[in-house]
Amino acid sequence: MAVTEVYLRGQQAKLPGQLRIRSQMFKKVRGNTIMAALPLIVTALVLLAPLLAPHSPYTVAGPAFTPPGHGGFLLGSDSVGRDELSRVLYGMRASWLSALAVIASGLVVGVTIGTVAAVAGGWVDSLLMRFTDLFLSLPGPVLAIAVVAALGPSLLHTLIGVAIVWWPFYARIVRGEIRSLSARPHLEAAKMSGIGVMRRTLRHLLPGTFPALVVTASLDIGNLVLTLAGLSFLGLGSPAPSPELGAMSARNLTFLLQDYWTAVMPGIGILILALVGNISGDGLRGLMKDR
Amino acid sequence: MQFSTKQSSVVTRDDWNSVTERATTSSSVAKVEDYHVTFTRSGSPVHALRGVNLEVGESEIVALVGESGSGKSVLGLSMLGLLEKTSNTSVTGKVFLQDRDIALASAAEIRRLRREYLGAIFQDPMTSLNPTMRIGKQLGEVTGSKSESVELLQSVGIPEPERRMSAFPFELSGGLRQRVMIAMALAGRPKLIVADEPTTALDVTVQAQILDLIKMSRERFGTSFVLITHDLGVAAMVADRVVVMYGGEVVESGTTKDVLNSAKHPYTRALLASRVTLSGDRHRRIATMSGEAVDSRISVPGCAFEPRCPAAMEICNSTKPHLCQVEDLHDVSCLRYGSQVDDLRLSNGIDSTQMQIRSFTDGGELREGAAVQEIDSSASDAVGKREIMITANDVMVTFKVGSGGSRAMLRALRGASLQVGTGEAVAVVGESGSGKSTLLRAIAGLNTPSSGQIELRAGSKVQMVFQDSGASLTPWMTVEQLLDERLVATGVRDKHERQERILAASDSVGLYRQMLSAKAYQLSGGQRQRAALARSVVVPPEILLCDEPTSALDVSLAAVVLNLISNLRKSLGMTLIFVTHDLAVARVVADRIAVMYLGQFVEVGSTDQVLSDPTHPYTKALLSAVPDSGSTPILLNGDPASPLSVPSGCSFHPRCPSVVGSCSSTEQYLTISPASRGHLVACGVALGGQ
Amino acid sequence: MFKFVLKRIASAVGVVLALTVVLFILQKASNTNPVHAILGPNASAAAVKAETIKLGLNRPLLAQLFSYIGNLLQFNLGTSYRTRRPVSTDLAQYLPATVELALVALLIAVGLGLILGYISIKNGIPAKIFRGVLLVGASTPSYLISFAGLVLLYSHFHVLPATGEAGATQPFQGGFVIFDNLVNGNISGVWDGIVHVTLPALSIALVPAISIGRVFRSSLEATLRSDFVRTARSKGLSDQAVFLRHAIRNSIGPGLTMTGLQLGLMFAGVAVVEDIFAWPGIGYYTTESIPVSDFPAIAGVTLVLGVGYVFINALVDIAQSLADPRVKL
Repeated sequence: MAVTEVYLRGQQAKLPGQLRIRSQMFKKVRGNTIMAALPLIVTALVLLAPLLAPHSPYTVAGPAFTPPGHGGFLLGSDSVGRDELSRVLYGMRASWLSALAVIASGLVVGVTIGTVAAVAGGWVDSLLMRFTDLFLSLPGPVLAIAVVAALGPSLLHTLIGVAIVWWPFYARIVRGEIRSLSARPHLEAAKMSGIGVMRRTLRHLLPGTFPALVVTASLDIGNLVLTLAGLSFLGLGSPAPSPELGAMSARNLTFLLQDYWTAVMPGIGILILALVGNISGDGLRGLMKDR
Repeated sequence: MQFSTKQSSVVTRDDWNSVTERATTSSSVAKVEDYHVTFTRSGSPVHALRGVNLEVGESEIVALVGESGSGKSVLGLSMLGLLEKTSNTSVTGKVFLQDRDIALASAAEIRRLRREYLGAIFQDPMTSLNPTMRIGKQLGEVTGSKSESVELLQSVGIPEPERRMSAFPFELSGGLRQRVMIAMALAGRPKLIVADEPTTALDVTVQAQILDLIKMSRERFGTSFVLITHDLGVAAMVADRVVVMYGGEVVESGTTKDVLNSAKHPYTRALLASRVTLSGDRHRRIATMSGEAVDSRISVPGCAFEPRCPAAMEICNSTKPHLCQVEDLHDVSCLRYGSQVDDLRLSNGIDSTQMQIRSFTDGGELREGAAVQEIDSSASDAVGKREIMITANDVMVTFKVGSGGSRAMLRALRGASLQVGTGEAVAVVGESGSGKSTLLRAIAGLNTPSSGQIELRAGSKVQMVFQDSGASLTPWMTVEQLLDERLVATGVRDKHERQERILAASDSVGLYRQMLSAKAYQLSGGQRQRAALARSVVVPPEILLCDEPTSALDVSLAAVVLNLISNLRKSLGMTLIFVTHDLAVARVVADRIAVMYLGQFVEVGSTDQVLSDPTHPYTKALLSAVPDSGSTPILLNGDPASPLSVPSGCSFHPRCPSVVGSCSSTEQYLTISPASRGHLVACGVALGGQ
Repeated sequence: MFKFVLKRIASAVGVVLALTVVLFILQKASNTNPVHAILGPNASAAAVKAETIKLGLNRPLLAQLFSYIGNLLQFNLGTSYRTRRPVSTDLAQYLPATVELALVALLIAVGLGLILGYISIKNGIPAKIFRGVLLVGASTPSYLISFAGLVLLYSHFHVLPATGEAGATQPFQGGFVIFDNLVNGNISGVWDGIVHVTLPALSIALVPAISIGRVFRSSLEATLRSDFVRTARSKGLSDQAVFLRHAIRNSIGPGLTMTGLQLGLMFAGVAVVEDIFAWPGIGYYTTESIPVSDFPAIAGVTLVLGVGYVFINALVDIAQSLADPRVKL
């Protein structure tokens, strides 16, 4: 932008006031940007899990219950001698991608319903919001348990069960944001400029919901990773040999007091993922606040 | 009063020794000496105050006047000891209260001072009271007993004080809340009350009441006040002394009379000149200041006002002026005055035409409409001669508010009728809740009348300028995108043509072309209003609706925007409806004035008719309440009534000073005044009395 | 108030109805044939037919739905495939222990949340470290906290028990242990109950406490910057008085909302923790039911929790209106 040239300090006082644009300070922004970008890095890393894992997560690679750091097992080996690190890495991949999938589905459904409700208003709004509130007042994880109990344990069924109760949050946020943006003069100004309802919605309203959505969604990564881990712990996820972090901790609970790593390491995998989600949420919140 | 001895109450560094001497002997209630405050924001220093000296005498009302960024509020907070002492704030200099330096006082001591010696009134009574605590309990924190609280509420003019004690703030009107704030400030009989813009959030008629209350409190309790305001008119109404601040410094100080009538500092003069008042030639353009307020991030070696000063000299950007006494009790910080003048061998006076030399239109780069022509005098004549552009006929707008049990009907417009001729400018004047904005929005098509009709001349386009211009620009879109979008929506397909017209429009409103690629948050207040105007006129509308476009702006900026709107209206031949709460503003923009109260017009007439012969009691009160109107304000009872519960008969009767028995039962309609043609008044009493 | 109660009852009915329909659909979509689940795989064709007619599974779907709802109205939640007892009987046995655990956890979560929120608004290095610890805490799965508790407090220091709701001296398992012993004046029994509930309740409460604390912190920060707090300070009140009288009450709203939200999410944690500590509550009941796909049992749990969730959110709304007079019920 040519405008930036006029920031030059010495000249500022001499130039007509019009040329002075409020300058921004970028120092803090950088830290927040790095925090906000963490999920991208993690996504790349988990996709590379097959390359990073030293062993196959399914095959026996050595003696059972090798402590961490021994026999070439960085995180030790499990009750049958599979490499814990490889299993945790694969498990993290499943957890992370599952969380993203639920968020993506929630965003698609939630943004659509929230936008239609807020823009249409009237009875369409009432109807859609009653529907949303109904789902919002269902106890989330329990419904997921019911879905899995009916359809049989599998990761997909768990995700469906969680996704059913996750979208209403986004629908509420989007509707709320659009409603408050609609009351702002800029929307009325657009109306007076002769802009049609489609373009008003897409160009003058939806971008305004972006900050709140992005922050919520990134904080939800952590929530979802933890919720899904809890459900997996209860035995709702994929059946036995597949490396699922919650289920790994549950199955190795009996060994907790002797060979702690078999139960604890998968939990730490979850912790790292949830932490990334929460940190990025904080970073994004900081970025949005600065704008 | 202390300062009525020949001592200058604002002191210069030259008098330093005598000052420190006086600190021990004086009976001043507060004294600020060479006070600097610097904040660190995002790593760079912000110089909020750059060496301020100030003294407040016993039972004196001192007005601190300045625009945003002048540092007046920071000074006020400092005098209350409320300035946050974080690692980001550096403070030098001294604040004396009760002859003790509060920088040396312990936290407990400062709290004691606040309890016993100080009181505070803040700008927004809506947010300054704890929303979840009953009035009585909030007062009880500063009074000793319940009876004392009730007495205080009574003394600040709150009706039924016993009952109000158990009310929550949200159950009171804005005016009553500010009275509660004043009662709290007065509790414990403080020596000094700092009032930070205490009337800015209030209606004009309520402002008059509150200012009157402040004066009364001083008389009754001998309390000194520091009144912080952006409005010289407000200062003129109550202050003994006016201290003008600019860029964190005091630039001029003197008795109210001296500062208002014989201002010396170029900034004070410019501020006075750019004020829109009820006197002077209303067809002339308002004097404006060039440039924008000083950037407090920059530390200036010379005079902070130098870049905008029409009387600046070569040395002004390198030599710092300081306050010098130029007359008795009148100090000015300008190299052209006081003892500094002798050194510089410069003459004393700058006349007021010189003041306007460097107004922004003469900057050279701007292609704004050439010299302003006098308004065609026939413009102010009756509507009948012209083609009618807008007809509003008995328009009613009702909103449903609240939900569930507290559902209520808000009757924003209760049968408003108005005709506006082509090319005419009409100002719709009223206080909050009068329905003036609702009418404007109904004409714009943003509200649908529940009954009545609005007709516009066939094929005419309408555009609207909003009060908060920043909020009317979509935050994530550039100015160019917004303008372009409007052209596309109007059917301009050719990209090249759109580009041309965008540039032409931005030139016509004095928006630099580089600004086109900026978004709203990157623009200053004035630039935003220009950008919003550019969008309105990029496809010239037949009708321009303005909703208080200047009320959120600093005085000097408001003048610029008013001039700009007048020019655009004339060069594009637009019909203008201008909504404002300020009769002085209405006077300079409008051919006709229509006064609204609670959703109905109470008086309509040519600007001269309404202002020189106000007939409706409400118009009279409104006019007299305009700061420095010269007349004593007619104090109305209470706040404007709520459109949620409209009084019966003439809706103004509960507040009307000339109310008679039939007023509460007989509705009043606009009737032609027998005295002059085209002057309509909705008051049988006033018309009958003529 | 009356209107509020009516509204809440209507909303509870709505939720239960919606849940019922969802559960009914799930049951129909299920792979498990209830007749086979009840009679076992070796039942004769005649027995299967008789049971099908008895359960009404030969009738049209809509009729089945109505009879399903009709049964619910009579608290008939069907028969558990696993325990072979009416689900309502099972729930009556397992629910009290969960209520006790959840209440203690809720108390800890809210109390801890408010304390955490208050501590973390302070400035300086210790507060920064503290905020970091909070962030990690908020990212920890509840079972990991249980593990840490088990390894440290049970296995290493032997201060807390690992399983159950009460010690061996209390043969009855299930029901309200702390509450019952309190009523009976059995102090050692109360203590035993507290000792047993500490670890599981802490495990459940920590993550919600941190969520509540973070929300409370940001609303507290906003309140402390607000105009009326400045007014209170200008009156010469001490920091403590400003905080206690003016700031807390105005900041509590978002924390309460978060509490309501967290309760819904809490149940997964409750089930996990009951599983780990062999706590005889409905979470335990649920985890036992999952491997055998005992759908009637899980459907019953879902319904009971749905109603409980509505009830608790009504309590949250009441608390909101008590905290802020502008909030009308």
